[in-house]
Amino acid sequence: MIFVTDYMILAVLLFSIGIVGVISRRNIVVLYMSIELMLNAINLIFVALSRQFEQVDTQVAALMIIAIAAAEAAVFLAVIVLLFRNRRSLDANVFRLLGQRETHKND
Amino acid sequence: MLVELIFIALSLIALISALGMISFHQPINSVLSFIVTLLSIAGLFALLSSSFLFIVQIIVYAGAIMSLILFVIMFLNIKEKNIPNEPKKALWITGSLVAISPFTALLVKALQTLPQKEATIINGFGSIEAVGRELFSKWVLPFEMISILLLIALLGAIVLAKKEKSI
Repeated sequence: MIFVTDYMILAVLLFSIGIVGVISRRNIVVLYMSIELMLNAINLIFVALSRQFEQVDTQVAALMIIAIAAAEAAVFLAVIVLLFRNRRSLDANVFRLLGQRETHKND
Repeated sequence: MLVELIFIALSLIALISALGMISFHQPINSVLSFIVTLLSIAGLFALLSSSFLFIVQIIVYAGAIMSLILFVIMFLNIKEKNIPNEPKKALWITGSLVAISPFTALLVKALQTLPQKEATIINGFGSIEAVGRELFSKWVLPFEMISILLLIALLGAIVLAKKEKSI
């Protein structure tokens, strides 16, 4: 017997995996996909809530989240292209010009 | 019975490929693994009787967004020296999994207090007609604002990614 809460528990697990990806990786492409994974987990919770209360509102909210994710994807990928063109690297630790004073000497 | 088997299979595939997504070294492997996650989440949408979001998830997410990021990765021509080498990656991933697990356990405990409701499939519940009626009656203003947001994001992407004249 599968309950609606099982879907929400799966969504929470996926959200935690997304947080782990953001914390532990340095590749900016993986960081971007971890953020997308968190958005998808939230979507899954919205759709499960829509099934729980049998109303379509939350499905429309999930649709809005998908549209916002599409906009975010366009801007984020443009930023990735820009960063890669300037520094030839996908390492998030390289892009810290504003972070510490001694990085200016390394450049 | 069949629904339970499909749910267990899809959730296992989603979790394993999400873990693969955060642990692969090459970005292209991560993207392909993440596409598997998105497709299994689309299957879960279908099990929750929202057929419209199932189609949108496959077309927009797994189709458009992920092929865009695949295109960008292939366009950048990434060599091995461009990828950060993370020698302590496994340690970081297990450490942050352990660190995040109390938060997850708390959320799971909180979710289990919700009223238990069996997830059977209702015919015509999340169909295009039902979602469209809701979208164009109550959600018209957010819908229009989303279109403006998409336009601004398009302009921003063009402005950011265009080649600058040499300064």
